[in-house]
Amino acid sequence: MEGVTAVFLVFWTLIFPSSSGKAWPTHTVCRDGNLEVFYQSCDPLQDFGFSIDQCSKHLKSNLNIRFGIILREDIKELFLDIALFTKGSSILNFSYPVCEEDLPKFSFCGRRKGEQIYYAGPINNLGLEIPEGEYQVLLELYNKNRATVACANATVVCS
Amino acid sequence: MAPCASCFLLAVMLSANCKVITASDQMCTEKEANKTYNCENLGLTEVPDTLPNTTEFLEFGFNVLPTIENTTFTRLIDLIFLDLTRCQINWIHEDTFQYQHQLDTIVLTGNPLIFMAETALNGPTSLKHLFLVQTGISNLEFIPVYNLEKLESLYLGSNHISSITFPENFPTQNLKVLDFQNNAISYLSSEDVNGLEKATNLSLNFNGNDIRGIEPGAFHSKRFQSLKFGGTLNLSVILNGLQNSTTQSLWLGTFDDTEDQDLTSAMLEGLCEVSVESINLQKHHFFDISSTTFRCFTQLQELDLTATHLKELPSGIEGMNTLKKLVLNVNNFDQLCQINAASFPSLTDLSIKGNVRTLDLGVGCLEKLENLQKLDLSHNDITASNCCNLQLKNLPHLQYLNLSYNEPLGLQSQAFKECPRLERLDLAFTHLQVKAPQSPFQNLHLLQVLNLSHCLPDTSNQHLLAGLVDLRHLNLQGNRFPDGSISKTNLLQPLSSLQILILSNCDLLSIDKQAFQSLGKMSHVDLSYNSLTDNSIDAFSHLQGLYLNLAANSIHTVPLHLLPSLSQQSTINLSHNPLDCTCSNIYFITWYKENLQKFEGLEETMCANPPSLRGVKLYDVKLSCGITAVGIFFLIIFLLFVAILLIFSVKFLLRWKYQHI
Repeated sequence: MEGVTAVFLVFWTLIFPSSSGKAWPTHTVCRDGNLEVFYQSCDPLQDFGFSIDQCSKHLKSNLNIRFGIILREDIKELFLDIALFTKGSSILNFSYPVCEEDLPKFSFCGRRKGEQIYYAGPINNLGLEIPEGEYQVLLELYNKNRATVACANATVVCS
Repeated sequence: MAPCASCFLLAVMLSANCKVITASDQMCTEKEANKTYNCENLGLTEVPDTLPNTTEFLEFGFNVLPTIENTTFTRLIDLIFLDLTRCQINWIHEDTFQYQHQLDTIVLTGNPLIFMAETALNGPTSLKHLFLVQTGISNLEFIPVYNLEKLESLYLGSNHISSITFPENFPTQNLKVLDFQNNAISYLSSEDVNGLEKATNLSLNFNGNDIRGIEPGAFHSKRFQSLKFGGTLNLSVILNGLQNSTTQSLWLGTFDDTEDQDLTSAMLEGLCEVSVESINLQKHHFFDISSTTFRCFTQLQELDLTATHLKELPSGIEGMNTLKKLVLNVNNFDQLCQINAASFPSLTDLSIKGNVRTLDLGVGCLEKLENLQKLDLSHNDITASNCCNLQLKNLPHLQYLNLSYNEPLGLQSQAFKECPRLERLDLAFTHLQVKAPQSPFQNLHLLQVLNLSHCLPDTSNQHLLAGLVDLRHLNLQGNRFPDGSISKTNLLQPLSSLQILILSNCDLLSIDKQAFQSLGKMSHVDLSYNSLTDNSIDAFSHLQGLYLNLAANSIHTVPLHLLPSLSQQSTINLSHNPLDCTCSNIYFITWYKENLQKFEGLEETMCANPPSLRGVKLYDVKLSCGITAVGIFFLIIFLLFVAILLIFSVKFLLRWKYQHI
């Protein structure tokens, strides 16, 4: 009988993660003295990889990032929504076009559903001094049909 | 014995669990009955039995099909479109599609193909589109050549292709699109390009290839629909290589993440020997831009200089007399006059949107553009206290004007007198300051479409829309009306030709019964996202065959006398209203269920009251309303009582009368 229980337990642990709504692991973008950035994919279908080349509370302009993902949608048109919260209240919301039919800003614009993308390059951000505190950032990339391309729940801890 | 028993138990449990999982997971989504299905991301290892034989469009991406062969799709003989994106396909064996005679598109993007059999694509009688993007192809010989005679587009992006030399027997005669994005092509030889000679009107895409050389004469007397060399480092290599070729459109733009060389006049010299109608140079930097930079642009019809860091265009550019379309979006102009428009007298289409700095319209900066028909000045932070006659001086042929997403504009009567032929005017999200009783659009007798959404004009000004005799389409979304109501006399009265009216998100509480009396031609009215009640439905009693959107309002009940007003309309949306599902609304609910074909958003049309029925779809509601037996009993008693009382009183009255004779 013991054997059955043991087998059952093993079996349960094997089945459980795939039958319940699984959450993707939390990854560290960077951890440096007084700044820590984590993210977790909020696309139920897949995880993605992301890192920033420098990590400092004095955020430099034109940062270089690395980004790896499998596209589940065509990205001839691609938009980024950012929502910034602290202590549960919203500070900032904005939307930014990354790829447009009449202005493909990046070389990966126009790539197709099913393609694997690796991007290492600049993102044209503004320089910024991050005030102390803990911030939640919701980032969403989507195409013209509002279909999710990538979704991230990020946490920024600045001390 | 015990371990054996537990093994057996495990086996039983595993199989049982697997069945449950597969049964619950294997649900393809039906998009069109018996025709279109989406089975993506289901981890399927075969075509599910639930899929009907008549399936024509099948999205089957992100499943697991390591091998596909002649038995894989046997049953689906009506397939027209088959998407097998990222299905981990390694092998495509002989005659995989032999029964799919109608198949016209096969998508194999993102599969690690090891081998495709010679007859892998045999079967379809007219295979037109083949996607082999990111399939690891390094040599074009990998693609089986049989049965590609009808092929119109071939997508080969993100592979390891370094040479575009097609095998000799590769049929190219019907090819219209050939896409080599993001490969490793660095040299184009005459032999390569000659291999494509049979194709006419071909569009070739070399974006994301670092082309370092083109054999001189490779493109000599060749014709193309479009050529794309996006992100190429050295433009002179391309332009010199294209000598004596003819191309409808040439895309030479670059990207934020591509290293860039400054464009010099010398680098563009090669263009003198190329015949091109339309050219795109987005995101390049011009070094010492002058009138001679454009010396070789004389044949051009369209020029796109989006985000080219321009502060001005040099004056006195010669030879651009025939340019029809100029795009100067996302540049750094301070004043509109800095584009020196006089160089482009034939221009019909000008777009300057999303300027990085605040754009000052100046005075008469475009007055030399007498032929201009389309002008886009949106997203420019433009502000003017008195617009737009000085700014748009002398544009007699302008038909389309976009001033949306700018800073506040002050308009006075006849604000667009200089462009009397306007047909479409877009002012969305630009605040308008119009003093009553001014009529800024007065002389626009040809205007058909006017977008004033979120412009916050003074809607109490009865004369705001005066003069728009031909207006068909008016968008007033997101504006406010005095007291949240549209009264009997309102600013819409002059619009006798109006067909489409959008008044969503206007915080409306009521609409007067006669508010739309003068608008007899309306066919589409959107009143969604307001706070209207059933009182406003009467405003449409004089109209028939309307598309009427009343979604997300405050309609509880629809009384009997309003049903005729609704029943003469063709489509109605009542979703997201707090509808009453008690007997007080029984006439409407009965009528609704009899006329479901008239309604839009059935799934979101639900009860809000009584609490027991909250969230129930209106078409599912069953109410039995009528007088109950007890009610009938009491009614009869009451009537009897009244009758007896009457008889007695008459008797008493008569007796009293006779006694006093």
